[in-house]
Amino acid sequence: MSAEGQVAGKGGYLKSLFPMDWDLVRHAGAEPVPYHLKKWWFCLGGTPLYLLVVQVLTGIALTFYYVPSPQEAYASVAAITNELRFGWYIRSLHKWAGNLMIVAVFLHLLRVYFTGAYRHPRQLNWCIGLALLGTTLTFGFTGYSLIYEQLSFWGATVATNLAEAVPVVGGHLAYFMRGGPAVGENTLTRFFILHIGVLPTAMFVLLGLHILLIRMHGVTELHFEGEKVTKEERFFRFWPEHATTELLIGVLLMYLLTILALVFPAGMGEPADPTQTPPHIKPEWYFYFSFRLLKLTSLHLSVALTVVGGAVVFCWPFIEEWLQRKYRVPESFSVVLGVIGFLGFLVLTVWESIAP
Amino acid sequence: MSTERDACPPGEQDVTRRTWLAGALMGAGLLASYGTLAFQFLSFLLPKRLKGETRLLFVGPVDRFAVGSVQTIMDLKGNEILVKRSEAGFQAFSSLCPHLGCRVQWMPADNHFFCPCHRGIFDAEGKAVAGPPADAGQRLADAPLVVDQANGVVYLEVEVPDKKGGPA
Amino acid sequence: MTLNTKRYVVAGLSFLFLASLLVVAYHESKRHREEVKPGPIVTATNESCVSCHRKDSAALVMEWERSRHAQQGIGCVDCHQAAEGEIDAWKHEGVWVSALVTPKDCSRCHVREYQEFAGSHHAKAGEILASLDNVLAEKAAGMPSTGNIADAVNGCWQCHGAIVKFKRDANGQVLREGKENKPVIDANTWPNSGMGRLNPDGSKGSCHACHSRHAFESKLSRSPENCGKCHMGPDHPQIEIYNESKHGIAFYANRDQMALDKRGDWVLGRDYSAAPTCATCHISSYMTPQGVFKGNSHDVGERISWTLRPVISTKLNMVVYADGYKEDYPEGKPLPAVGAQVDTKEKVVENEALVTKTVPRKVSQVVTWDQRRETMKGACLNCHNDTYVDNFYKQFDDLVVLYNEKFARPAQQLMDELKNDGVLKADAPFEHEVQWIFYELWHHEGRRARHGASMMGPDYTHWHGMYEVSKHFYTEFLPAVVHVAEEKSAALGNKYRQKVETMLNQLDHNWLNGLSPEEAEALRRMYKERYNQ
Repeated sequence: MSAEGQVAGKGGYLKSLFPMDWDLVRHAGAEPVPYHLKKWWFCLGGTPLYLLVVQVLTGIALTFYYVPSPQEAYASVAAITNELRFGWYIRSLHKWAGNLMIVAVFLHLLRVYFTGAYRHPRQLNWCIGLALLGTTLTFGFTGYSLIYEQLSFWGATVATNLAEAVPVVGGHLAYFMRGGPAVGENTLTRFFILHIGVLPTAMFVLLGLHILLIRMHGVTELHFEGEKVTKEERFFRFWPEHATTELLIGVLLMYLLTILALVFPAGMGEPADPTQTPPHIKPEWYFYFSFRLLKLTSLHLSVALTVVGGAVVFCWPFIEEWLQRKYRVPESFSVVLGVIGFLGFLVLTVWESIAP
Repeated sequence: MSTERDACPPGEQDVTRRTWLAGALMGAGLLASYGTLAFQFLSFLLPKRLKGETRLLFVGPVDRFAVGSVQTIMDLKGNEILVKRSEAGFQAFSSLCPHLGCRVQWMPADNHFFCPCHRGIFDAEGKAVAGPPADAGQRLADAPLVVDQANGVVYLEVEVPDKKGGPA
Repeated sequence: MTLNTKRYVVAGLSFLFLASLLVVAYHESKRHREEVKPGPIVTATNESCVSCHRKDSAALVMEWERSRHAQQGIGCVDCHQAAEGEIDAWKHEGVWVSALVTPKDCSRCHVREYQEFAGSHHAKAGEILASLDNVLAEKAAGMPSTGNIADAVNGCWQCHGAIVKFKRDANGQVLREGKENKPVIDANTWPNSGMGRLNPDGSKGSCHACHSRHAFESKLSRSPENCGKCHMGPDHPQIEIYNESKHGIAFYANRDQMALDKRGDWVLGRDYSAAPTCATCHISSYMTPQGVFKGNSHDVGERISWTLRPVISTKLNMVVYADGYKEDYPEGKPLPAVGAQVDTKEKVVENEALVTKTVPRKVSQVVTWDQRRETMKGACLNCHNDTYVDNFYKQFDDLVVLYNEKFARPAQQLMDELKNDGVLKADAPFEHEVQWIFYELWHHEGRRARHGASMMGPDYTHWHGMYEVSKHFYTEFLPAVVHVAEEKSAALGNKYRQKVETMLNQLDHNWLNGLSPEEAEALRRMYKERYNQ
């Protein structure tokens, strides 16, 4: 035990119960944070983490009352929204935190991409990050289906039908998602267990790996052209400086979420009716790009494009390396490609949102 | 951890009053706001445990109950309620015997309530005087009868049946 | 940003967050304060009715569900239950029911209202079935050859009420049909929700004439249109007069502020103020300096001081008997003393026909016409001061007197004399044209004039009223009197011509001979100045 461990008597007694190297802990906490993290747009990694905490807490609260059966799902959500105290607030927090989390993850992806932080030796973290994005999107999809209103039901139907078009594994994938040949009782229960069990576990494992890798590699130091940084300014402390920053963002997010919950509370559409398809089905906004692509091309082509596109993004660090090695493609190529890709995504999304 | 990074800038070691105030305000603010949030979460998780929503169920005009009689009425859950009207006024009891839940009957000839299962006897006020309920010092549960003297109408306060909802 | 600044910012943001949470809490509390309209309670007894009839007559069940009855669990059986053996009862799905729910059935719970209504003029509405009006309907507009009295059935009886009858076999036993042995009701007498319907159980009236089933909404009963179903038309256009009057205009402009659906007492000057409705003046409660005056909510005649119904209007006193029975005593008929025994004449139904019975009763109260008027004035005084109100009554009284003295009395006298002279027969009330003209004179335009004055409808008072009275009196009635006498004999014709001449020479009628030169000049000048004609 270190000298500091013996300083506070009682503290020392407690520390002996859990014999860690507390020095190491303090040192880890005092991890120097590169100065560029003082720029606010570098907090986009912490934002989804905070929002995840919000989702977990509100999600657990909601699970106290939600019933995952086609007969009672809608009514239980209605009870939460209309009868239980603050139910509407907690549900609205859950909805908005979910939406903001997807936005934040995506913005974080953009930031990492355009600052080239995915490059060697951090390629693996990029892949894990993309897996996290996929997990987040799946969270959104399964969560929305649980409400069991018309759009939930038919959205799930469309999505699982799309999955069928995936080459090779499509049929099995769709059958697995639905728990049968059509969306029904099994679908709801497995979406539920995915949403509250499987996906959270995956999220935590991936997140753990993601943060571990960051700590192991260290945060990428960035040098902006023409910027002069003194030795003192190069790093600042995680605790209390950066922690306070994160705290600030946390409170800001809660404030923002509460405003959103007050002004745009979560509502409910018509209850799901398997016999009646509503005239305009749309998925959630984060799948608009895919939906618009589907409308512009055929089923198989759009699915193929999505799968291929997804694979390219996933493996981008390696592809870029290969391109640079083989064809001496300059770094600006990635930037241009990224801009094009992002713009394309934006156009498709906005197009779908304004179309009737 | 990279060795390059051991050079940490010195932090703000001196605790000036300004720092103390900032920290205190921050702490107070965080405690108040997150505390309120926690309270709201707790309210959500604790559904109203006050006697669940009740409604008044119309039973009949006061005149329907003859003085000195005991009549049976039903609540919404199928329980029978015994309504006794005496000179002094109305009393209403649940017909469930507190011993093991058999149905208690009024015996006008003996002016008491009788439970046939284990021969429990309750006096006209609902207090057990013989049999196993008496041994346990039990009495018939009061039923929530509401008498509106002004309009001469009798109501029974019933619990609203749980809403079963959603599409089949 | 230094650490210190950051801490202040966090503090600031967290107070903002706290503020937003307080807004959330406020919203939450506001949510619970909203009055949630409770849904219907379907008790076990009524469940079987509801589940079947929800398919057979879905809207009917929905209407019941909207009602305040349903909110307290009062349902089908509670009102439709009948005792085995009652003439209108049959066993339906295991329960003895009757489709006919009479005031006596409603009185199982609404005791006071039943008593108030039973003593009212509304309850007697069905007793006009032996009147002139009925003759017009059943005879003049009926077909004795086929027994078709559809005019009476669809017209008069739907407002006034029918005697509910059953179809019988040759032995006089009630016919029954179907596997439930349902009694066959005379189709001429049901459906009928006439105000004075004469029910098989002896009660008079039909509560749902005003309290439409099955939602039984207060706002419907209190709306003027409700009264307007019957109180309208050429012979008593009360709703039209109300619509013309400032009272009606105020109502229609402010319907939403009238608290029409208020549960319980509906008091002018406390719950609403924008306008009076029919109910306001005639039956409802109003504020007085001493507090709430609780109206006798189901006796519509209590505040009436004139009867505007007959040929010649009279003031109305009221005698109340110990059992609640009431009788109107026209001014002039000697009033009995309180405590005296009187042989009252009451119409009841026996063997499905109206008979008059003599029932001795003890007088418990005598209410004079001016006491009745004072009760009416209490409502007026909520908005108008006493000079205003008293002067209005003088204006109204004068109009009734004008009608009475200038036209009604002279006309009635002529008709009586024609009868005495054998020109008109008492048993042939519509044989001659003069009888129709006279009938309409007092029954239609004469009533319109009087009603118009009573409820501030100037156009009805004059153009639809006194103008037509005078025009028909001079241009149709008087000539018809002479004509009918002439038809009988030349001598009688001369006699009546003479009578008419004498009348027309009186001051009140001699304007027919022409205006005075001054009046003529004034008239000519007015037209020149105003219209250049």
